[in-house]
Amino acid sequence: MTRPLARLGGIERRFGAVLALDGADLEIRAGEVHGVLGANGAGKSTLLNVLGGMLAPDAGVVEIEGRAVRLGSPRDAWALGIALVHQHFTLVPRLSALENLALGAGHRRGLAGDLEKLMARTGLRVPLDARVEQLGVGDRQRIEILKALLRDPRVLVLDEPTAVLTPDEVDGLFGLLKELAADGRAVVLVAHKLDEVLGVADRITVLRNGRTVLTGPSAGRSVPELVRAMVGGDAVDPIALGLTGVDAGATGAMSRPPAERGETTTSARALHAGGVVVRLRGAALADRSGPGVHGVDLEIRRGEIVGVAGVEGNGQRALALLASGRAVPDSGSAELPSGIGFIPQDRSTEGLIAEFDLVENVGLALQREPEYVRGPWMRWDAVRDAAERIRERFEVAAPSVTTLAGALSGGNQQRVIVGRELTLARDFLVAENPTRGLDVAAAAFVHAELRRMATEGVGVLLVSTDLDEVLGLSNRVYAIARGRLHDVPEERRTREGVGAFMLGGTADG
Amino acid sequence: MVDGGAGGRFARTRWEPVAISLGAIGLTGLVGAVLLLAGGFDPLAAAAAMVRGSVGSWDVFVSITLVRSVPLILTGLAVALAFRAGVWNIGAEGQLYAGAVAAAGVGLAGGGLPAVLLVPAVLCAALAAGAAWAVLPMLMRVRLGVGEVITTILMNFVGIHMAAYMVHGPLQESRGVFPQTDAIAEAARLPPLLPGTRLHVGFAVAALLALGMTVFLHRSRAGFRIRAVGASPEAAHVSGRIDARRVLVGCFLVSGAVAGLAGGVEVAGVTHALYEDLSPGWGYTAIAVALLAGLEPLGVLVTGLLFGALQAGAGAMQRDAGIPAAWVGVVEALVILAVLGLDRLRRTGGRVLPGIRIGGGGGA
Amino acid sequence: MTEAELSLFLEASVRLGIPLALAALGETISERSGVINIGLEGSIIAGALGGALGALAFGSAGLGVLTGAAAGMLVAAVFAAFAVGLGADQIITGTAVTLGGLGMTGAVYQARFGATGTELSLPTLQALPLPFLERIPLVGSALFAQAPTAYVAYVLAPMLWYWLFRTPAGLELRAVGEAPDAAKAAGVRVRRVRFLATLVGGVLAGVAGAHLALAHAGTFAENMSAGKGFIAIAVVVLGRWNPLLVLGAALFFGAASALQFFLQALGFDLPYQLFLALPYLLTLAALGGWVGRARAPAALAIPWESE
Repeated sequence: MTRPLARLGGIERRFGAVLALDGADLEIRAGEVHGVLGANGAGKSTLLNVLGGMLAPDAGVVEIEGRAVRLGSPRDAWALGIALVHQHFTLVPRLSALENLALGAGHRRGLAGDLEKLMARTGLRVPLDARVEQLGVGDRQRIEILKALLRDPRVLVLDEPTAVLTPDEVDGLFGLLKELAADGRAVVLVAHKLDEVLGVADRITVLRNGRTVLTGPSAGRSVPELVRAMVGGDAVDPIALGLTGVDAGATGAMSRPPAERGETTTSARALHAGGVVVRLRGAALADRSGPGVHGVDLEIRRGEIVGVAGVEGNGQRALALLASGRAVPDSGSAELPSGIGFIPQDRSTEGLIAEFDLVENVGLALQREPEYVRGPWMRWDAVRDAAERIRERFEVAAPSVTTLAGALSGGNQQRVIVGRELTLARDFLVAENPTRGLDVAAAAFVHAELRRMATEGVGVLLVSTDLDEVLGLSNRVYAIARGRLHDVPEERRTREGVGAFMLGGTADG
Repeated sequence: MVDGGAGGRFARTRWEPVAISLGAIGLTGLVGAVLLLAGGFDPLAAAAAMVRGSVGSWDVFVSITLVRSVPLILTGLAVALAFRAGVWNIGAEGQLYAGAVAAAGVGLAGGGLPAVLLVPAVLCAALAAGAAWAVLPMLMRVRLGVGEVITTILMNFVGIHMAAYMVHGPLQESRGVFPQTDAIAEAARLPPLLPGTRLHVGFAVAALLALGMTVFLHRSRAGFRIRAVGASPEAAHVSGRIDARRVLVGCFLVSGAVAGLAGGVEVAGVTHALYEDLSPGWGYTAIAVALLAGLEPLGVLVTGLLFGALQAGAGAMQRDAGIPAAWVGVVEALVILAVLGLDRLRRTGGRVLPGIRIGGGGGA
Repeated sequence: MTEAELSLFLEASVRLGIPLALAALGETISERSGVINIGLEGSIIAGALGGALGALAFGSAGLGVLTGAAAGMLVAAVFAAFAVGLGADQIITGTAVTLGGLGMTGAVYQARFGATGTELSLPTLQALPLPFLERIPLVGSALFAQAPTAYVAYVLAPMLWYWLFRTPAGLELRAVGEAPDAAKAAGVRVRRVRFLATLVGGVLAGVAGAHLALAHAGTFAENMSAGKGFIAIAVVVLGRWNPLLVLGAALFFGAASALQFFLQALGFDLPYQLFLALPYLLTLAALGGWVGRARAPAALAIPWESE
């Protein structure tokens, strides 16, 4: 057997109180595409950042070709032939594509020539003179990959590269990765979608709670086996694992088909079911950081979940702000109800204030409700009661409501936000990537709550870059591309079908 | 990056800010003593002179320390409110001068009025002038997106020169010799708070304002909105649907008004005339006062007193221990740096730089 | 106005603009790395006292400039230790450093020369007219018959421009100021870059202070920096973080300050205090009219923490 190209053994890494890696192992061989699997929070990104020299481990060994090495910085990793493509873009927006590539490539001479050759060979083309801030996410992802390839790495590490790509682009990327591996390099790929990884990886490693629980060839692995490895004995939400369309029954928690849900309403609010609760007409909103939206016509009825799928940065932000009443349209009109809840994408900066406790964070939204104020004064006793109710009802793991929000895990932060916004969402709820970065259990909880709200007669707008989430939950589906909404007809609500719309296409895309 | 940005700190403890303030004072004493020793001075003699000059007797305490603390408390409140809302108002000094000029102007012109009318008129003029001095930086921030740090500092210089112009020009005393105004009308002066001392009603005004601001910030909806905007404008907008711009405009103006009041109270309560060098930099010291108080108005009352004592004691220190009065600036700087340093240590759980740890904190 | 008067005005403009240019060029470097150093004023006053003491000790104004630079750097190092090392708030740290710098120099000066400050007479930096160039009509003597420190500023501006925009190290510095996390991912040592950039800013501010004491006043006085550090920061904004424009903006500001002497010389009877306020008002106006469209480095004043 050949010696592994790279080996990480017994890696531990702690962030404050959180133990992200607890003795994880990873072995990478030349000529293979190696898939790293795990639920959110399992430690995949942390492990890869250790391999890429971005994070120093607290304990454990890193060996390259059998020799123990210390990776103190990305430069150390590059010197050993390891290049990392990050999950989050690491580009400087105001520099040009070329400057970004020069920054990443160690400014050698003849860079432009090398780049031309590389772009021709890989088919990854980007406009070199454009400033990155003017480029779309697809171009940015290509720059990231080019940046890594410019170093001619022996080990190419990609952390969730598919999140911002359309299904077609994903196929193209995977083809490239297989070629690179056939060259004798090693490719390490992280994704949390099982079927994606199984389609391209030669071998896989599964992480759970910061530990390696399974490693070996991917051939012959069954989905249930991998799911069990990823989540242990926990309850499973098939959507969160990307299992819709795969054998979801294997997880033991099959969701009802979307069509049934709007009808099985039982609460008093169901009396209003079917009434239009939100109406956007020709609405447009400019957005400095993205394309904004224009010409949005959208009606949402009580009791339905309307999903909007799209590649990140196509106007989702503007749409969510418009629908939640956080912004007024530049043109067109938005008729919104009074009881709106909004679960924003960015928990830590928009959903909560880290240095406020739970009572204050609940009060942040409730201070607009008459029952929580008396004259100019806050009724902190009432807010505290509301916070207590949310903590109990939504099982927030916090010792008390005076716990600071910043001290909670991401999943518990999201429980606080969901609980708070549900109390406000008497009529309408906007959820923007509500499960991003959550572990399986927390994602399942959020999905269940969205469904429950719909059955109680609330209209729900789900804006998500997670195609499976949109397909799994929504009664109606739109795709968003370059700031425009496209209605996806019933018969095309598959990953491939919606994917075509996401490219900005029309019905014949 | 990972959850737990508070570094494993779970609940807020009531005494943490107090501990930081006390720690900062201790650190300042320590570093200050070392610097004094290095300069060939006797730290103990300095401390003794400082104590004598600030709390050496009841009269010294009331007539010097308390009186000196009034402008520090008021400007400290101005800075605390602004910083609380995320407004970097470094312009308290200029706003103070604007308030002082307006107070002197009204105090000189309103000679015929009774005190019940004139005193409020003087203080209102000071409030209005201080707010007016903040208008330009506020508009530049809100309308043009020009950061207020630089613009408020520039306005400080304009304010100081404007006051200088006043005492050399339109408001100069009637003989036209000295760079100061005539004494303001008797009816414009703040009555004494304690008979037989120099302590004036301005101290009570400052104390009540501190109390009122505390209640306002912690109990009222508007105060809560201010705290939310200051802590996170994004969250305040998205989750609280709070109009951050309105909060910013309001706090900027009120902060300017309170700083202006400091100038008016000083003129009406102590100097009874406008002088060229009225303020020894209160508007800047206010930043140290506010930070040491953890931006809490009631805390400002305490730290304002502390810095009042420091400034009162500086004179005695120079006289008795030969230590230059400019030394006070060093102490103020040390206090701010110590607060910043300790606050960072608390937030990072004792981690200063990767690989360097101080103490064993953060293991919650 | 006669040509002689105009020439005098230009000479005064350059003379008053040079210390600002030096400090602002240094601040440009540190701001391009994402660090706004409000403590610049502290570095300038330290540079003035350091320059004065050095010139006195060595009997040479040239060596005084060097000690001034060292003093400016020392103050900047204190700022950087807190603002970069600890990741403390840059505005507050800078304010503290300014307060401390003014207090410390005042205390040292009083301790050394007495509270009243016996008139201190220093070796001065003599003007060094450049052959041929000084004979250019009108601007020659204004630009090229200055103290040697002025020529440092002239040479530095294009050099820094080239370094910032045409060299790999300059690219790294700009990346740190725009997107420190991205810079780190590209292997740049963010803290080190910011620390060094801040020190460079301190050195130049120290030279500016030494220039004030040795080329202008020939003496040291408490608070003689008179807010030049803050104006230099405004000059950086006016110059849009571009060394060449920053030099121009500093000279513009120098002209605004020179206007007071000039108008007085022309017999305008305007109060002198208003002239003193004029440069600040002009800067405010310029910031309002011009900056709206300029963009600061994206990570300016934001403390950076690696995990």
